[in-house]
Amino acid sequence: MKRPDAAVPLTTLRLLLGAYLAGTVLNLHHIALWVVPVAAIAAAWRWRAARSGGRQLPGRPARYATLALLTLAVLATFRTLNGLEAGATLLVAMGALKLLEATRIRDFAFLSGAALFLLLAACLDAQALWRLPLYAADLCLCCATLLALARAPEPLPARAALREAGRLLLLAAPLALLLFLFFPRLPGSFWALPDSGDAITGLSNELEPGTIAELTQIDDPAMRVRFAGAAPPRNERYWRGPVLHDFDGSAWRARAGLYVPRAALNYAGPRYTYTVELEPGALPLLPALELPEGPLPPDAVLTSDYQLALPRPPRQALHYTLSSRTQYRSVQPLSLAQRRIDLALPQGRNPRTLALARQLRAAASDERGFIEAVLARFRDAGFAYTLTPQRLGAQPVDEFLFDTRAGFCGHYASAFALLMRAGGVPAHVVTGYQGGEWNPIGGYYLVRQSHAHAWTEVWLDGAGWRRIDPTAVVAPARLEGESVELLPGAARSGGRLLRSLAWIGTVVQGWDALNAWWLRDVVGFSFDRQTDLFDALGLGASTWRTLAGVLAAGGVAWALVVVWQTRHRARPPPPDPLSRAWRRLGSRLARLGLRRRTTEGPLDFAERVAAARPALAHDIRRLARDYARLRFGPAADAAAIAAFGRAVRALRIPRQ
Amino acid sequence: MNTRRRWRSRVGDWARQRQGEDAVPLALVRRRLYVLPTRAGLAFAALLFIMLLAALNYTNSLGLLVTFLLGGVALVAMYECHRALHGLRIVAAEASDAFEGTRGELRLGVENVTTLPRQGLMLRAAHATAAGDAVTRSDVPARQSAALRCSYAAHRRGRQPIEALSLSTNLPLGLFRCWTWLHLPVEAIVYPAPVGPLPLPAPRARPFAAGAHRSAGEEEWSSLRPYQPGDSPRAVAWKAWARGAPLLVARYEAIRGGEHRFDLADTPGADLEARLRQLAAWILAAEERGERYGLRIGNHEIAPALGTLHRQLCLRALALHPA
Repeated sequence: MKRPDAAVPLTTLRLLLGAYLAGTVLNLHHIALWVVPVAAIAAAWRWRAARSGGRQLPGRPARYATLALLTLAVLATFRTLNGLEAGATLLVAMGALKLLEATRIRDFAFLSGAALFLLLAACLDAQALWRLPLYAADLCLCCATLLALARAPEPLPARAALREAGRLLLLAAPLALLLFLFFPRLPGSFWALPDSGDAITGLSNELEPGTIAELTQIDDPAMRVRFAGAAPPRNERYWRGPVLHDFDGSAWRARAGLYVPRAALNYAGPRYTYTVELEPGALPLLPALELPEGPLPPDAVLTSDYQLALPRPPRQALHYTLSSRTQYRSVQPLSLAQRRIDLALPQGRNPRTLALARQLRAAASDERGFIEAVLARFRDAGFAYTLTPQRLGAQPVDEFLFDTRAGFCGHYASAFALLMRAGGVPAHVVTGYQGGEWNPIGGYYLVRQSHAHAWTEVWLDGAGWRRIDPTAVVAPARLEGESVELLPGAARSGGRLLRSLAWIGTVVQGWDALNAWWLRDVVGFSFDRQTDLFDALGLGASTWRTLAGVLAAGGVAWALVVVWQTRHRARPPPPDPLSRAWRRLGSRLARLGLRRRTTEGPLDFAERVAAARPALAHDIRRLARDYARLRFGPAADAAAIAAFGRAVRALRIPRQ
Repeated sequence: MNTRRRWRSRVGDWARQRQGEDAVPLALVRRRLYVLPTRAGLAFAALLFIMLLAALNYTNSLGLLVTFLLGGVALVAMYECHRALHGLRIVAAEASDAFEGTRGELRLGVENVTTLPRQGLMLRAAHATAAGDAVTRSDVPARQSAALRCSYAAHRRGRQPIEALSLSTNLPLGLFRCWTWLHLPVEAIVYPAPVGPLPLPAPRARPFAAGAHRSAGEEEWSSLRPYQPGDSPRAVAWKAWARGAPLLVARYEAIRGGEHRFDLADTPGADLEARLRQLAAWILAAEERGERYGLRIGNHEIAPALGTLHRQLCLRALALHPA
C-alpha cells in the first residue's frame, strides 16, 4: 500500500479528473458502458485519497489483478482489443488504473495524454456539428490540465488555467486552419480500418412489414440534394434505393448477385443534374433520382436493375454529382432470366391473394387493365393508410388485403407486387426516399430518413419498366406534402411539431443548412476537396515544393501575428505626461549645452542653468520647483500636470 | 553518468567561450537564450505524431483539426517560454557563506522593466550535479524586481568561485525549456566544517571582569523580544519598527564569566584542515553558549566579542587562511 504524495495540488487534480471524465463522456456512444462506473469509481477514489491525504491507494498486486481483469473484460465485450470502440474502452479502463497508481507528475502527464487520446477517439467516431462545442470545451480542459501540471507542485487556479488555455488555443487557431487546408491529405488509408459494428439507420436490403414504419419515425437527415437548374416536381422525386426481387411470402429481399445484362434504355423528358450529399449509410449503394444517365461517380457501377452500386458502404459522408431522367423506355425485351426472377412466387403462401390476382387478370383485357383493376381495388375497397398497422400472421399479404386493410407503403408495395406476379406481370419492390423538404437557406432539398418509401416497378411489354406507387392511390396526400404527420398513428415527434411553427421552422432550416455546410466543407474536406481547392487557388499542378512554400509563408505570417499580439507588452512602459514634459525641457536645455547630470536633482540643475544663463533664471527656477512639487509632493492632478506641460512648451529661450 | 557529466561540462565550456564573461547589470538578449524541448515535450511530439497518423488514416477532419490545434498550442508555448526570459535584467548576484560539505545559498537580483509578468523562473548552479535539491520557481511581476534563490554545494574550504548559473523556465506548458547560462564573477566563502574531537575549553577569566565596574555601557545586546507595556522607550528597537516590524525590545544581558581566546597554535595535530575545523567547532560552541571569544591565527588576531557578525569575521578568517 502506498500513500499519495502531494506532487499535484488539489486544483490540478480536479482539472485532470475533469479532463479524464469528460473524455469518457464524449465516448459514451461507442464504448462499453460497464467501463463508465469503473472510471467514476477510480476518479472518486483518487479524489478522496488526495483530499484526505492519509487515505491509501491500492497496492501493486491489487492493481495488476485489476489490469488483467479489465483487459479480459474488454476482450470479452468486443472479442478484440483492436478498433475504435475496444480501443477507447481500453483507454478509459487503463486511465482508471493509472489514476489509482499515479503519484509522480509524470504519471499525471501520462493521464492527460490519455484524455487527449479519448478526445481523438470521440472525434474519429462522431463528427456531428452539435458535438463541436463539446470537443472544443474538452480540448480547452485538456490544455488547462497541461498548464496546471507544468506548474505543479505549485497550484494554478482552475479558472486561470482555463482562461490561459483558451488564449493559447485562440492563438493556435489560425495555424490549425492553415494546416487544415494545406497539409497534404491522403487519398486513402495507410492500413485497413476495422468495420465498426454500429447499426446505421437507413434503408436496408430487406422489406418486412414494419421496417419502413420504423424509419418514418426518424428525423435524421439521409441526404441533401442540390439541383443545378430546375428540380423535378414533388411527385416525381423518387430516390431509388435497394431493389428487392426475392419474396418469401412475408419479406422482400435484394438478390446478392443479379448477373443479367442491363437493358438499353431510351431516355426522354427533362434531364436533371444534381449533387447529392449523402450521410454515412450501411448499404453499398448511392440513392439516385429515378434513372441516372451519363457519367457516374467514381467507384460506382450501374447494375442491371439500375442501382448505383459501390464496392463498400459509405463509411463517411459522401458527395457525388449525377444526371437523371424520370422518363425512359426499354428498347429490348425483358431477358428470360430476369423475367423468371421477377415472376417467382413463394410456394403455398398467401393463397387468397393469388386467387384474387388470377380472378382480376381473367377479367381484364390486358396488363394495363389488370393494373388498373388492382389499383381500383386499393382505392375503392376501404383501404386505409396507417403507420401503426396490426400485426400480421403467417399469410401476411392475405390478412392485409382481406382482413385488416390498413397499412403503410411497405404493405401496399408488397401486396401490389405479389398481385402483379400472380397475374403474370413481372414486378419487384423498390425502396428509397420520396420527396424532400426544400431548404431555402441552404438552397437544397433535405431528404430525411422519415421520407423513406417503398413502391413497385412492373414490366409492360413494349414500354419496359414502369414505376407504380400503390400508396399514392390510397393516400394521395402522402405524395403532396408533409402529410405523413396528419395520418393516424404518425408519431408527433418534437421535431415535427417544432417544424410546424413558421419561425421555428426557419431556425431549424438554418441549423440544417449549417449542418450541411459542416458535413460538406469541414468533415468532408478530403483529398479530393483539397485538390479542388488547390486548383481553384491556381496551385493546380501542385508539387510538394509549392505546397511547402504555401505552408511556410502561412506559418511565418502566423508567427508574426503571435509575436505582434504580445509585442506591446514586452516594451518598457511609455513615460507618463509629467516625465515627458520634464524630458522635453531637458532636451531643449541640452541643445544649449546644459545637460542634466544623472545625480543632479531638479532644483540643483535649475541653479546651474540660472548661473549659466541668467536670462532664464526666473523661468527655469519656477519650472524646476513646479516639477519637484508635482513629482515628489502630494499626488498631483492631471490638470496641474497639463499646465506644467504647457509652461514647458511656452518657455522662450532667448538667443545669446 | 560519467559521459553525461563530461558532455555537460563540454557544453558549458562552449557556452562560456561563446558568450564570454558576464558582469552585472546584464540584459538577457536573444543571443544568450537557448530553447529545447523537455522530455515531456518529446513525449508530446510523439503523441501528436500518433494522433496525426490516426486522423490521416481515418481521413478524419476533426481529428486533424484537434492535432493541428495542439501543435499550434505547443509552438505558442515555445515562443512564450522564450519570451519569459527575454529582456530580463540581472542586476545583482551573490553567494552566502557556507560550511564545507553543506549547501549555501545563491541569490540573483532580477529586474523586469516590461509590463509582461515573468513566471516560473528557476535558478540553478549549472554543471553542478546537485541531485535531489528542489528547485523552486519564482515569478517576477510586471515592472518589479525579485531575488531568485538557489543552493550550491560548498566543496572545499576557501574561496569557491561559482562557475556558472543557469536561469531557466519551462512554463507555460512544460514542453519546452528556455534557459541562459550566466558566468558572473560570484565567489562563495566556504568555512571549514565545524567538527573536532576536543570539547570547548573552559573560558579564561576576563582581565577586568569585576562586578563593580559593570555599567549599562558594558551590557551586551543579546536578543529581541516583543514589547510589553512598561518597557523603557530607550530599549525599543525603533529602527526595526520603522522598517515595518512590530515593536520589539532589545534585551541586554550583563556579561557573565570569562572569555575564550582560540589560537591555531593551541590546536593539536599536524593536519591544518583538521585544526581549522576544530577552531570552527569551538567558535560555534562558544557563540551558542553566549561566551565571548577571540581568535588568533598566526599574526592575525581578532579581539574577543560575541554576535553574528563577529562569528562571521572569525569563520571567514579560518576560511581564508592559506593552506
